[in-house]
Amino acid sequence: MRRHLTTTSALATLTLAAFAATSAPAPAAAQELLFWSTQARPVEEAQGMREEVLSGFEGGAVDYQPQDAGPFITRLRAETEANEGTIAVVGALHGELTAFADAFADLSAIDVSAASPALVELGRLGTDEQRYVPWMQATYLMAANRAALEHLPEGADVNALTWDQLIEWGRAMEEATGSPKIGLPAGPQGLRHRVVQGYFYPSFTDSMVTRFRSDDAVAMWETVKELWEVTNPRSTSYNFMQEPLLADEVWVAIDHTARLAEAFNQRPDDFIAFPAPAGPTGRGFMPVVAGIAVPATAPDQEASLALVRYMLQPDTQIATLRATNFFPVVDVELPEDMPPSVRAAGAAIALQSGAPDANPGLLPVGLGDLGGQFNQVYVDTFERIVLAGQPIEQVLDEGAQELRRIVDEAGAPCWAPDAASEGPCPVE
Amino acid sequence: MTATAPLPAHGAAPSDEIARALDLARAKRWLVAAVVTILCLWVLVPIYLVLVNALSTPSEVSGWPKSFVPSFAMESLAFFAGYRGVAEALLNSVMVAAITMVLSIVIGAPAGYALARFDFAGKNAFRILVLMTRAFPLPLLALPLAVAYIQIGLDDTILGLAFVHTMLAMPFAVLITASLFMGVPFELEEAAWTLGCTRLQAFVKVVLPLVSPGIAASAVFAFVVSWNEVFAAAVLTIENRTLTAFLLQSLNVSPLHLKFAGAAVLVLPALLFLFAVRKYLFAMWGIANR
Repeated sequence: MRRHLTTTSALATLTLAAFAATSAPAPAAAQELLFWSTQARPVEEAQGMREEVLSGFEGGAVDYQPQDAGPFITRLRAETEANEGTIAVVGALHGELTAFADAFADLSAIDVSAASPALVELGRLGTDEQRYVPWMQATYLMAANRAALEHLPEGADVNALTWDQLIEWGRAMEEATGSPKIGLPAGPQGLRHRVVQGYFYPSFTDSMVTRFRSDDAVAMWETVKELWEVTNPRSTSYNFMQEPLLADEVWVAIDHTARLAEAFNQRPDDFIAFPAPAGPTGRGFMPVVAGIAVPATAPDQEASLALVRYMLQPDTQIATLRATNFFPVVDVELPEDMPPSVRAAGAAIALQSGAPDANPGLLPVGLGDLGGQFNQVYVDTFERIVLAGQPIEQVLDEGAQELRRIVDEAGAPCWAPDAASEGPCPVE
Repeated sequence: MTATAPLPAHGAAPSDEIARALDLARAKRWLVAAVVTILCLWVLVPIYLVLVNALSTPSEVSGWPKSFVPSFAMESLAFFAGYRGVAEALLNSVMVAAITMVLSIVIGAPAGYALARFDFAGKNAFRILVLMTRAFPLPLLALPLAVAYIQIGLDDTILGLAFVHTMLAMPFAVLITASLFMGVPFELEEAAWTLGCTRLQAFVKVVLPLVSPGIAASAVFAFVVSWNEVFAAAVLTIENRTLTAFLLQSLNVSPLHLKFAGAAVLVLPALLFLFAVRKYLFAMWGIANR
């Protein structure tokens, strides 16, 4: 018992010491600019952002903090409500920034002439002020193990594939290897809603919203179900396709470029990147845009603006590409010595957006904080039709109703590939 | 059973009986051994796999077949040694957990004592109320908390975060200590009073020594609650990040080999701590060398 007591009191003394240490005034920390972000979350990317991208900023030290969307939004909202903040600069995807249009300072003072006008327009968030400036962009691509190429159906060009050819290819690989070799990012953290919104729908219906529930859409889901038959069923646990690709569990996959990068970087000779397949209405693909904004509550607006300017410089943009596999939003000359993932993806992106039948489906515009619900409709539709095998017409009817409610509530006009509309985008 | 079985006749039968009893005892021993083995494997296999993979090269981690012997490649772990902020975050985690431990015992143990010893109006309501702090999901509480913290200046402090973690650990501290105090007969305290102790002296000299191992165990529990908490830590601290808030969200989306190495970095300190205080944990389960 004696021994217990001594150890207990030793423990208590230790904790009290820790207590005392924390209540003592903290040493005056150097004024760091807090870069609050949802991007570059993987540890290696965060490290790259800190050491290669932000270390070159001369306006002071930058504390780069990548976050899950949950804490990211909560903290930003708390600072907005308290009207006092420590966040200097916010970096996130277009869809994550739309909910905070009122919380951001106007960035019209920043020169964005070098950036793509379409991206700059997105950053206005439907207002006439520059709520965020484009920061970096990416897209979704196909990746394949070279071993898969010998099973490619006759007459098919891997750089100009169709969805039907992909299914045929999948069937040939399954026959040859005994297991389905196509993979989709249909896991809980996978970006499956983007594949449905930006790849299936534009390719088959030339629409994302308006023709959600059309005869073309019914035919499209029939095709997706066929694709699922030659898709590895473990896809429902894939979040990042680079992992099943590296494990040779699947040979052909579609995913976000940043979520394929590790495959190219670890085994550059084994994998190729190529454009997404095309359907009856073109080669649907979705550009991904991340932006930077400055909260109105930032402690030092001038320093924040300086950091935003720094992030848009060509050299910084190239360093960001190396660190995150997100491509520049301004015109830059890419140097020769880029990592394998960048070289592979860069060529495929050019082929994809430059294809004669390219049919870009933009990120939802003007949905505000209803973006999450909007995505959920596509996830639910995919899971109900493909995984649960529910009747297509019925699922689409219910999805269309929900979609109509969301778009009407947000009052969002149509975006590409849907034709521009007066008032909320109609759902047929 | 319709009729009572006839008593075994003298002679051969008793040895049957004995043999059956021996069989039963042996089966029981096997069963215990099997359950113990399964439980040990349940805990040890994941930890072992984490360590093996943390000590393997990236291609070994994603490759197949798996080797169950680590190749002692340090590159994944070395990444975290050079990862800026890990050391500070580790220190912050320890400090927050330590304060949580102290606060939840200092506040929780008296509440537990009151629950065990006194009958007061609203006792049952209080017992439920204590549990209510766990009834609301943190993401719901975090926003108003963060706003309040920013306004009163507790934002981004270790103490502020420890308050939140204390609130999370409190139900366990109160309920565990209450059952501990209930296990100490009131008569012992009364005997101490009759021998001239004041109430406080009786508590300190008689009750406290008997429950201290259990209290230490519930303190360890508070430590673990604080160590594992991510959401509040991510929202309420910026420069004074805890290790879990600092690493966990990033690891979630990192390549496999770094996930394993990061998991090892997160698990090891907690394991070492638990190992250091293991005898108090045993005490809580009544197998101490009292």
